[in-house]
Amino acid sequence: MLTDDRKEALQEIANIGMGQAGASIAQVLGEFVQLSIPRILIVPPAEVPTTLARTVEESTVSAVRQAFYSDMRGEALVIFGQHRCNDLADLIGYEADLDHAAEVELLLDLSNILVGACLGGIAEQLNLAIGFSAPSLMADAIPLSRLLQDNPVPWTAALLVEVDFSLEKRSFACNLVILMPEAEIERLMRAVDLFLESL
Amino acid sequence: MSELSPPPRLLDFVVDRLEVGIFAVDAEMKVVLWNHFMAMHSGHEPGRVIGRNLFECFPELPRVWLEKKIRNVFLLKNYAFTSWEQRPYLFHFQHNRPVTGGVDAIQQSCTFLPVKGAGDSVEHVCVSLYDFTDTAIFHGQLSHAIADLQREKAEQRRLIEKLEEAQNQLLQSEKLASIGQLAAGVAHEINNPVGFVNSNFGALERYVLDLFRVIDALDGPDGLAGAQAIRQQIDYAFLKEDIVALFKESKDGLDRVKRIVQDLRDFSRVDSVQAWQKANLQTCLDTTLNVATNEIKHRADVVKAYGQIPEVDCLPSQLNQVFLNLMVNAAQAMNQRGTLTLATGCEGDGVWVSISDTGSGIAPENLNRIFDPFFTTKPVGKGTGLGLSVSYNIIAKHNGRIEP
Ligand SMILES: Nc1ncnc2c1ncn2[C@@H]1O[C@H](COP(=O)(O)OP(=O)(O)OP(=O)(O)O)[C@@H](O)[C@H]1O
Ligand SMILES: [Mg+2]
Repeated sequence: MLTDDRKEALQEIANIGMGQAGASIAQVLGEFVQLSIPRILIVPPAEVPTTLARTVEESTVSAVRQAFYSDMRGEALVIFGQHRCNDLADLIGYEADLDHAAEVELLLDLSNILVGACLGGIAEQLNLAIGFSAPSLMADAIPLSRLLQDNPVPWTAALLVEVDFSLEKRSFACNLVILMPEAEIERLMRAVDLFLESL
Repeated sequence: MSELSPPPRLLDFVVDRLEVGIFAVDAEMKVVLWNHFMAMHSGHEPGRVIGRNLFECFPELPRVWLEKKIRNVFLLKNYAFTSWEQRPYLFHFQHNRPVTGGVDAIQQSCTFLPVKGAGDSVEHVCVSLYDFTDTAIFHGQLSHAIADLQREKAEQRRLIEKLEEAQNQLLQSEKLASIGQLAAGVAHEINNPVGFVNSNFGALERYVLDLFRVIDALDGPDGLAGAQAIRQQIDYAFLKEDIVALFKESKDGLDRVKRIVQDLRDFSRVDSVQAWQKANLQTCLDTTLNVATNEIKHRADVVKAYGQIPEVDCLPSQLNQVFLNLMVNAAQAMNQRGTLTLATGCEGDGVWVSISDTGSGIAPENLNRIFDPFFTTKPVGKGTGLGLSVSYNIIAKHNGRIEP
């Protein structure tokens, strides 16, 4: 399914998408954002947890899930470490002291920004329409090992697009994971083919 | 506008009358759309709001945060959301379930939608505000119910603990009661040897005095002849034999006292921290038999049919209690002299102990009640009906089975 050509193209698209995302997030946060080069792979759902465990460094995590729909359909997970994103509160208009609700709201807010920018970037490259559902809290400070145990991925295959974020001047890092079911991966691949043809 | 689009008036009407709050602002935060829902709940007619800065119309809004949020939608050209779960409301709107609700304002989830103009730039941000009050109230009730359930669960756990504690106490009292019951028998068992050791000492004392007389006579007027005469008189040959016999008998008697005191101590240890340990059940049976001997020996002959059994992990003092209950029951069931058989053996990776008697047997209709607490067929004062019930719990604690 993920031939070399397609993978290369998808990688290129993701790179450009993330580049744009990084620029607009930096605009929003007013600080320079570092994004890793996206890692793209297709894995059986059973391997999603181990794959995640390889890249997520923290052992206690909070996670937000956000569904996207329209020409691209799937779920994005944003996985935060122990400090979540509390250090960014003031950049998104919060006062100093965060209660639990504000902490979670901030988490949802930031996830929404990251997911929207990254997926929006990819969709734009491929000329695909995309919409987003409201993000929701999937894990509130639980061990990483339990993250996908409690929330199993019900699909036969998952496209994993992993991106790491960090900010230079703040202690903050998170991983973005895009999960898509098999049929959707195929749809995406056809869009990639079209994109390749149009070049 | 294409021919497939709905008539503009219909669109306007729907936007205005939909049961969802809809408003839009431009990049200066000036309100450009304010639908009926917003007007109704805020008390601000569109005429008073449109064209004005949102935050000037509603100074109570969390300006820093909300303005940043809206600006981000302009910048990122992407959706943003708020949820009633984290932020119950943006606007403080009275809701229409003030009595039953238990919430003080309409609970709102909002979606911030970028509205692009000509070209790619976002010209407006349109906010739709959904009423989640019913969900929130239901959610609150559900949380309450869950909290109640959890409280109940905790209470039940506490009760179970108390029950276990009570059961343990019952076990201890039953044990103390049976020790009390045994006390008379044990006293008798001790009294017997003490009695004959005592009378042996009487005889020994007389013998020693006789021996003194022989020795003292050596210094008397008749000297050796006198001593020999007295030796004749006291039947020295018999005395010599009897002293040895008396000493041996007394020593045996004292050993018996020592053993029974030891057994009683083993038996009656009411361990506060019950120690699981490896023990041989045959030793337990013997100890218990010894302590209960006075209850049994007048009624039954004891036959032991012990097989080869390995040591098992157990609470020996509690198993002793079980064995005592079974032996005493057996003895009490035998009106005429009978036989009490103690047998042991292995089966699979377990061991079994059987205590049987040749007494009355248990009536079939009682068979499923004998393990009930306070079930007894014995007269008041003789049986409390706790023996088998306590035994049942002890065996259950050992992951074993007890059956008639
Ligand atoms: N070996 C036995 N032969 C006949 N009946 C028995 C025997 N063992 C127990 N039972 C019956 O089971 C009943 C319950 O026994 P259990 O040991 O629980 O209580 P109990 O002997 O009556 O009183 P307690 O043991 O409290 O002094 C007895 O009253 C008796 O009817
Ligand atoms: Mg009994």
